[in-house]
Amino acid sequence: MRGSCSVAELKDLDTSEAIRRFLGMLLESGAVNAVLVPKHSPDNNMVAQALVADRERLAGADPLAPVQMINAAHAVRELAKEPLERSGGRIAAVLRPCEVRAVIELVKLKQILPDSLYLIGYDCPGVYDVKRYRDRVQATGDAKEVRAEVLERFAGAERAADAEAELRGACGLCTRFTADSADLNLSWIGAGDHSLLLQVLSEKGEQLLQALKGADFKEVGEAPERVERIEAVRASRLVVQDEQQMDLLSQLQPCIRCYNCREVCPICYCKECLLIPAKMGYSSERYLRRAEKKGQIKMPVDTVLYHLTKMNHMACSCVACGLCEQACPMDIPLGRIYSRVGGHVQALFDYVPGRSLEEELPVTTFKEEELPQVEDIKR
Amino acid sequence: MEHSTFEPRIIGFLCNWCTYAGADLAGTSRIQYPPNIRIIRMMCSGSLDPTYVLKVLLEGADGVLIGGCHPGECHYISGNLKARRRVAILKSVLEDAGLEPERVWLRWISASEGAYFAETVREMVDHIRALGPNPLKLEWAV
Repeated sequence: MRGSCSVAELKDLDTSEAIRRFLGMLLESGAVNAVLVPKHSPDNNMVAQALVADRERLAGADPLAPVQMINAAHAVRELAKEPLERSGGRIAAVLRPCEVRAVIELVKLKQILPDSLYLIGYDCPGVYDVKRYRDRVQATGDAKEVRAEVLERFAGAERAADAEAELRGACGLCTRFTADSADLNLSWIGAGDHSLLLQVLSEKGEQLLQALKGADFKEVGEAPERVERIEAVRASRLVVQDEQQMDLLSQLQPCIRCYNCREVCPICYCKECLLIPAKMGYSSERYLRRAEKKGQIKMPVDTVLYHLTKMNHMACSCVACGLCEQACPMDIPLGRIYSRVGGHVQALFDYVPGRSLEEELPVTTFKEEELPQVEDIKR
Repeated sequence: MEHSTFEPRIIGFLCNWCTYAGADLAGTSRIQYPPNIRIIRMMCSGSLDPTYVLKVLLEGADGVLIGGCHPGECHYISGNLKARRRVAILKSVLEDAGLEPERVWLRWISASEGAYFAETVREMVDHIRALGPNPLKLEWAV
C-alpha cells in the first residue's frame, strides 16, 4: 500500500496535535520502542530533540515548531551507530526533510545502521534562526502562535516574499521541503479537510502501518492542491536562488576558524579531521617565514583553506540544512554558500544527497568515461 | 611584477608509477623542458587530497599539474579515475570561489611518455605565462 492514506483517528485536529496522536499510536501499539521528536522545552522558549519512550510524555512534542537546534541526524547517529542489544528494538525518528537526507547520507557513509530505524519525515515549513525564534516567542508570548504564522504561509497560494526572507537563509532557498526519501512522510501541505495524511514511501513504511493494528486507514489520492502549492513555493525559491550573489573570498573574510560549522554539520563525521588545529598550526618560525614571503599574513591563518577544503570533502553530500549558518558567530551566510557550492558539485554527477540509498556516493565510484572537461585546460 | 620577467611556478603532484617515471624518462633521455615545475611524488593521483592543491594555490603557486596513469592503467586499479572526480569537484569549488580553475591541470602521462611529459610542462608554462601570476600571491587575507 504505497501512496497517501488518511487515518480516521486523526481527523479534525490541529496538525501538530494529529502528529502527536499518530506518534502516540506508534508507541501504544508497540510498533516502536521510542520516538525521536522535537519537543518544546519546559519554558516553551526552545525546541529540543527528545527520545520519548513513554506515550504520556509526548505532550509538547512539536515537529512543526519553526526552530532547529541541531540537525537531528546527529542524534540518529548516536541512536543507530551499532545494533541494539535487544532484538527487534525499533526507533521512529521524526525528521525534517534535510534531516532525512542527512541520515541517508550517513547510512551510505557507514555511520548509521538503518535496521532499527523508521524514518518519518514531514512537510517542513522552514525554521527561524534560534535567536529570531526566541524573540518571536517572547514577543507573541505563545509558541503556538509562532508556529501558526509560519504554517499559514503554506495555506494559500499567495506567499509574501518578505515572510520567506524571515526564515533562516537555507530555508528561504529550500526546494526539497517534503521528505520524499523517508519511509513515511507526514503531509499537511494541501491536505484539505484532513489534518494529516500519511504518505507511505517504502516497504518499511508499509510495515510500520501494518503494525498499527486496529487503526482506521483509508487510501486517498494525491491532493491536486498539494502538488500545485509545492510547485509554487519551489518556483519562487528558485528565483531567489538565481538572484543570489556570491563573492566567496570576501564573504569568508570574517571567519575566525572556530570550527562551529564543522561541529554542527551532519555530514562532517570524521573522528580525525584533517582540519584540526594541530594539523593546521605551524611553528612560530613558520608564521614569520610565511609573513616574510607574502609581506603579511592574516591571523588566524588558513581560514579560506579551511572552508575550501571542507567544501571539497563534504559538498557532494551537503543536504543544505543551513545549520552551519546558524552556528556561525560571525554571521557568514554559510548555509547559502555551502548549499550553492554543493549544488554545483552535485550537478556534476547528477547526484542529489539523500535522494536514495541506492545511489552511490560520487567520490566512492566512477565511470570509465566521464568528465571530459576536467582534462580540458580551458575549464 | 613585470610581465616579461614573470616565471610561473608550477607544483607537480605526480604518481609514482606513471607520470613520475615519465618525468624521470624525460630527464634520462635528456629532453629539455622548462625548470618552472617543482615535483612532489605521490604513490597515486588518487591519494592526493584537494587540500594540498588548495594550499599551494593559496600560497601563490601559479599552477598545479596533477599527473596520473592513463585510465585503465592505474597500479591501484582505479585511483586515477577517482582522482578525476576529485579534481572535477575541486575545479567546481575553485570556480565558485572566484579562483581560476585553469591553473589546475590533470594529465595522464605514462612511464614511457618522457617526451609527452616535457611537452606538457612546456605547454603549461606557456599557458600560465599568458594567464599571468596567481593573484593570490599577494593576497594576504586568505
